[in-house]
Amino acid sequence: MMTHENYKDLLAAQVLTALAADDARLLNSHVESCAECRSEMSELENVTALLAYSAEPLEPSTKVRERILASVRAEDQSDRSARDPVSPNNVRLFAAQPRNVWVSLGSFGAIAAALVFVAMMIALVTLWQKNRSTQNELARLTAQINETKAQVDRDRAMGELLTSPGGKMAKLAGTNVAPGAQAMLAYDKSGHAMLMAKGLPSAPEGMAYQLWYIKDNKKMPGKVFTPDALGSGMLEDQIPDSAREAAIFAITLEPKAGVQVPTGSIYLLSSS
Amino acid sequence: MSLGVKPESAEVSDVELLHAVARGDEAALARLYDAYRVILFGLLVRILNSREEAEDVLQDVFIQVWRRAKDFDENRGRPFTWLVTLARSRAIDRLRQFGARQRLATGAAQEQTEVVSDALSDTIKVAQRDTVRQALAELPEEQRNTLVLAYFDGLTQSEIAAKLNAPLGTIKTRMRSGIIKLRALLGSQLENFG
Repeated sequence: MMTHENYKDLLAAQVLTALAADDARLLNSHVESCAECRSEMSELENVTALLAYSAEPLEPSTKVRERILASVRAEDQSDRSARDPVSPNNVRLFAAQPRNVWVSLGSFGAIAAALVFVAMMIALVTLWQKNRSTQNELARLTAQINETKAQVDRDRAMGELLTSPGGKMAKLAGTNVAPGAQAMLAYDKSGHAMLMAKGLPSAPEGMAYQLWYIKDNKKMPGKVFTPDALGSGMLEDQIPDSAREAAIFAITLEPKAGVQVPTGSIYLLSSS
Repeated sequence: MSLGVKPESAEVSDVELLHAVARGDEAALARLYDAYRVILFGLLVRILNSREEAEDVLQDVFIQVWRRAKDFDENRGRPFTWLVTLARSRAIDRLRQFGARQRLATGAAQEQTEVVSDALSDTIKVAQRDTVRQALAELPEEQRNTLVLAYFDGLTQSEIAAKLNAPLGTIKTRMRSGIIKLRALLGSQLENFG
């Protein structure tokens, strides 16, 4: 059984995180109930922290500051999403315009999805209480809620890609064959990419949309996807090493299995 | 001992900045980052021996500051202590994940780091660094080595005992004596530091 003095002797090691895990747990439990040890530990922590001054001061890359602020801004946007929905706006590479990216990301569902989710939950409860004959409506709303949840999960995954070191985003605009279509492609420095598209015409039987990475006129095939009834679709892919910098992204309509060389019309295209 | 001290209001200001961060003030977070990035990054590189790892941890630390600023209680500690403790804790966690083998393998990375330029001497007070280094130098060598192995290399008392081939009880005594002496040398000057 350890005494107060025994615990006090452990404080120096604790502030240096040099205690064995079991001793650290016992000490923490004691400190919670011992004002004298708490005060002593606080003093020792203050002194120990000064050892940081003995290391050589070094300047981090300016990108660290940008990444921190982009990340907290994203969390802030997410917190505010229920009261401050934002419309789509011009989208540029993430590194150049972090604020616009998040405004644009919001347009793809994170903000609206949260609003819709809350509203539908309220509607669901109300309907359930009022009339059992609305079972069909309940089923429809439930399906929509599930879809909304999936949307929120996708947006979160996209946000994580963007806030990872070296995360970037590009916007793809609809061409003259699909003027109402838009898409966003987010990717990290390892090439892991997520595409979210909306407003696409439904694909004919046996056909699907295929993503392309174009660099120096070389067209590298990506994965294929089929949009839902509303023209929205998403896919995850791995961008080829040679296409991670300054590449153009395009989406064409191709046979469902995908092709190695594009054959169909371009529906979506990023700016160079 | 004379030090290049911060204005008297600086400590209050850091507390206010943390309270502002807790209210969601991004500009306050940016000011805290600007004030402490150099010393914290120096500490993280010293612990992790890698600029890339240190930048990752530095980013993580300030995201944690953003999320946890509301937990900061000025009655229980100083802002500087809170920031350093958070940074060091994250770095030591990462170091222990690597394991001792990786730690040894990356030992040469320190040489590639770039010392901060003279232009930044306003950010890190040279006098403060000298004061801490002088205090460390006044410790008996075996006490100083024990503290440095724990603080910068993240070793536990048992690991230090094994590394120095010394009895565990001896290491415990050296560590306790070293910290107590350091407090005697620096404890009265806390207000002179950030």
